[in-house]
Amino acid sequence: MPERRYTVRFEPDGVSIDVYREAENLLRVAMVAGVHINASCGGAGTCGKCKVRILEGEYRSQHSSKLTQDEWDKGYRLACQTEIVGDLVVEVPVESRYEKDVLGRRPDHVLRAARFQKEYEGIVPEPAVAKFYVELPEPTADNNMSDMGRLGQALKREHELDKVSTDYTVLRDLPAVLREGGWKATATVMRTHRSHRIVRVEPGDTRGRTFALAIDVGTTTIHGALLDVNTGAEVARAADYNAQVSMGEDVITRIIAALKPGGLEALQKRAVKTINGVLKELLAKAEAEAGDISHAVFAGNTTMTQLLLGVNPKYIREAPYVPAANFFPPFRLADLGIRVPPHVMGYVMPCVASYVGGDITAGVLATGMHTDPRLTLFMDVGTNGEIVIGNQDWMVSASASAGPAFEGGGVKFGMRATYGAIEQVRINPENLEPMILTIGQVPPKGICGSAMIDCLAEFVETGIITQNGKFNRELASRTDRIREGENGWEYVLCWKDQTQLDQDITIIEPDIDNLIRTKGSIYSACSVLLKSVGLHFSDIERIIIAGGFGQFIDVEKAMAIGLLPETDPERVAYGGNTSLAGCEMAALHRDRIDEAEQIATMITNIELSASNMYMEEYVAALFLPHTRMEEFPREAERIRLAQQIRAQ
Amino acid sequence: MAFEFPKDKYNGKIVEVTIGAGDKARTVGGETAMPLCNFEGEFPNRPLVAMEVYDKAEVCETWAPACKEPFADVMGDAVAWAKKCVEEFGAEAICLQLASTDPNGMNTPAEEAAELAKKVAEAIPVPLIVWGCENDEKDAETLAKVAEVCAGMNLVIGPAKEGNYKKIGGAAIGYDHVVVQQTPIDVNMAKQLNILLNNLGVPMTKILMDPQMGALGYGIEYCYTVMERDRLTGLKQGDEKMQSPLILDVGKYTWKTKEASVSVDEEPAWGEAKVRGVLWETVSAVDVLAAGADILILRHPDSVRILKKIIDELMA
Repeated sequence: MPERRYTVRFEPDGVSIDVYREAENLLRVAMVAGVHINASCGGAGTCGKCKVRILEGEYRSQHSSKLTQDEWDKGYRLACQTEIVGDLVVEVPVESRYEKDVLGRRPDHVLRAARFQKEYEGIVPEPAVAKFYVELPEPTADNNMSDMGRLGQALKREHELDKVSTDYTVLRDLPAVLREGGWKATATVMRTHRSHRIVRVEPGDTRGRTFALAIDVGTTTIHGALLDVNTGAEVARAADYNAQVSMGEDVITRIIAALKPGGLEALQKRAVKTINGVLKELLAKAEAEAGDISHAVFAGNTTMTQLLLGVNPKYIREAPYVPAANFFPPFRLADLGIRVPPHVMGYVMPCVASYVGGDITAGVLATGMHTDPRLTLFMDVGTNGEIVIGNQDWMVSASASAGPAFEGGGVKFGMRATYGAIEQVRINPENLEPMILTIGQVPPKGICGSAMIDCLAEFVETGIITQNGKFNRELASRTDRIREGENGWEYVLCWKDQTQLDQDITIIEPDIDNLIRTKGSIYSACSVLLKSVGLHFSDIERIIIAGGFGQFIDVEKAMAIGLLPETDPERVAYGGNTSLAGCEMAALHRDRIDEAEQIATMITNIELSASNMYMEEYVAALFLPHTRMEEFPREAERIRLAQQIRAQ
Repeated sequence: MAFEFPKDKYNGKIVEVTIGAGDKARTVGGETAMPLCNFEGEFPNRPLVAMEVYDKAEVCETWAPACKEPFADVMGDAVAWAKKCVEEFGAEAICLQLASTDPNGMNTPAEEAAELAKKVAEAIPVPLIVWGCENDEKDAETLAKVAEVCAGMNLVIGPAKEGNYKKIGGAAIGYDHVVVQQTPIDVNMAKQLNILLNNLGVPMTKILMDPQMGALGYGIEYCYTVMERDRLTGLKQGDEKMQSPLILDVGKYTWKTKEASVSVDEEPAWGEAKVRGVLWETVSAVDVLAAGADILILRHPDSVRILKKIIDELMA
C-alpha cells in the first residue's frame, strides 16, 4: 500500500477518506468516497455546480468566474478546481446532498488498472531480438578472413552467440557498414532456440536508442506501446479504432467481408493503416524514429491475427471452426506494409482456438495466472468476450460474442477511454442530478466503458430504469434529464453547453439494451464454463477483469449490473488491456515467449455453441443484475431499499 | 422390509390465488408437489376449466363449424353466451375475449369493451377472466378501463407483457384485480416479468402466469418441458418468483390448427371434423394439465365435459 498523505472529511455526513497522492483532485476524491457533489461538466470547471465550502485545511484552488467574491471569501471553491495539499474538512452544500445512509449505499471499490508480475519490473530486459556491439580486428594480410566470418567470430567471442546465420540483405551492405564504422558495429540478432540470425548491422554503437513495439490488434480498437529495450520502460502508448470496423463490427462480419473479392486484402490494408497511424503517434510521443525499432510483438484474436497476416479466415467461421495455425512464424513488418525498415521482425502471440486467440494468451501471460496456485477467473471483455478459468495446473477457455459496447461501439455517445470521455458517473437519488468526471477533466465529448458500468448501476438503483433496462417514463415529470428523444427514451448525462459537441450527451434505451446484452453474454459464458468443469463462482479465489473500460472500474458497480459475480471485491483485480501488457512482456523478455507458447498449449478450449445451457443462461443474464437475484443478494437488497424509500 | 414408494421432496409451494369476489370467488394454486403427484404433496385446489366467450360475432366468422354450432344462438351476445357456458356446459370460469378491440380490426373502444366486461361479470356466478386483443398499447388502454369499471370485482385481466405490464399491473393494483402475465415460452423471461410486476407493487397473490403454448403437433412437447421447468424452479429450487399458478388458453391455440378445424370434405382421411377437433383440444389440454396448468381455457363444450371428467378421475 502507498502511504497515506492526507485525510479529507466531508461534512455534514462525516465521511472521511484517506488520500494517497499529492495534489489529488477534490472532486475525484469525493467520487471515490461516495460523496455526491453535483458536477455536470466532467470536472472542467465550466459548470460551477461542484461548489463546496472548505472549512479547514490546506489546498490549492483556481479562482473561478462561477464563484462570486462573497462566496470566495466565505471559503466556497469548485471541487473540480481544487487540489488537496493538506488534511481538509469540506462542507457539501445542501443542493448536492441527499440522505445517503438510508439508501444503504456501498463504499466504492474503484480499481485502477493493475500491473501484474511486478517481479519483472526493474529487471534488465532480455529480448528475443537484441543489439550486440562488437569491435572487430581490422583485416590484415595475416588475417584476411571474410567480413562475415569476422563478424561471426566476434559475436561468438564477445557475446557467446554461435550458429549465427545472416539475412541476405544484411550481407549485401555488410562490407560497407563495417568499414564505415571503423570496424565497430552493432548487430541486431534474432535469437531462437535453434539459431541466431543477424537481421541488421549498423556502423558504430547504436545500442542507446532501441525500442520494441507492442501492438494489441483488437476487433474494435488497436492499442500500441513503445518500449525502451535498455530500461524496459514504456515510453509511449497510443490507440485508435481499427479501420476494419467500417467493414463489419464483429469478427463474423469481418470474415464474411474477407470472402468477397478483394475483401481479405482490403481488411489487411485497413489493419495496417491503423497500425501505421498508431505507430506514427508512438514515435512522435517518444521522439523516436522507425529505424530505432528492433522488433515487434503482436496479439489479436485468431481472426484479427489471420487478417493481419493476410491468411484467409474462412474456416474459422465454418464448423468445426478450424484456424489456419495457432503458432505463427516470425515475419517482416515491412512485408505487411507497416512503415518500418525491413529489418524489423514481428512475433505474433500464439492462439488457442478459432475464437480464443493470442490476445488471451498474452492476457494470461500478463496476469501470471498460469504460475499461480489460486483458482482464477480471467475475463477479457472486448468485442469478443473470452474467459479463462484455471491456475498453474490447468486452464479452460471459452468465448462469447459480447459486442463492442464497453469499448464505445453500438452506444450513441460511446467512445474509447481517451481525453474528454466521461469515465465516472454518480447520480443523486433524490433529484436525479449526475456527478460526472471526464478523463483529463476537460468538457465531455462521449462516454467510455467504466462510465457505462456506473450509469447502468446508478440508473437501476435510482429507479431511472427498471431491471429489464427500460426507462421509467413516469420520472420525466420529476426531471427534464429523462425525456423522449429522437431515438426513444433517454437520460441526459450532460447538457450541450457543457460538452465539446453541439448536442446533449445522452444514454438512450438501445444503448442500455446493448450493454445488457454485452454483460449478459460475458456472465453467462462464465457460468456455463464453470458448470462444464463442475465449479461454481464461490470456488473462484481471484477474478481478473480486463478490457478497454478505462483507467479504472468500480468493481462494486460491475457486480451491481451483473457483469461480475457478486463476491468479495477484494478478490477482484482490474487488468486494463492485458493483451497489450502481455505483448510488452514478451517483447522485453524472450523467456516470456516460451511461456506464451506453453500457455497456448495448456489451455483447453470449450465451445459454448455446443452447450445446450448457454442460451438459457444468456436469457437469465439479460436482466439487472440477473434473473437469479438470489445470486446477487447485496444488489437485490439495495434495489429493495431504494424502492422502499421511493415509495415513501 | 416393506417396499416404500420413492417420493420426491420439494422446497416450495405454488401461491394460492383467489379470483372473483364474494360468492363467485374461486382459488387456484397451492400445490406442494409436481402436477398429478398427489402422493407427494398437497393439491388443495382443483384445476379450473374455463370457457372462451368472444365479444363480437364478427371475430368468430372464420371458426370451424363444430365450434360455431353450440353457440349459434348466443354469438354476438356475450352475456348470453357466458351464461350458456356456465349453465349448460359447466364452465367453472369465463374468459371474455375482447378480440374486437384490436386496432387492426374492428377497433372497439376501450369504454365499450369495459362496459361489456362489467355486464358479463355481473351476469355469471363464476369468476371472469378478461383477455385483451394482444396489442400491447390497446390492451393497456382497454384493460385499464376494464379494471376501473369493474373495480373491486377481483377479475383476472391480461395478458400483461413486457411492453405493457406497468399500465395493466398498475390498474390491477389500483382497482384490486388479478393480472395474467405472459412471456414467450421461456423460464427466465417468465421470472423476469414476475420480478418487474413485484417491483411495481403487484403481490404474488395477484399474479397468474401464462407461459404460452403450441397445440398438439405444434411443439407442445417443448412447451410442456418449459412449464415443467417453471414448476421445478418454483417447487424444487423454492424460487419464490416462480410460484405463480399457470393459466393457458388451450382453445385458442388448438382451434387455429388445420388438424383441429379443417372439414372432412377437404381431408377425408382425417375423419369426422367435430370429433377430431374436440379430441385435438382435449389431448392438448390434458398435456398442459400434466405439465401443471391451474386454469385451462377451452372453446368446445365437449372438450370441457371430457376434461372435467379426466380431472375428476385424476384428483380422486
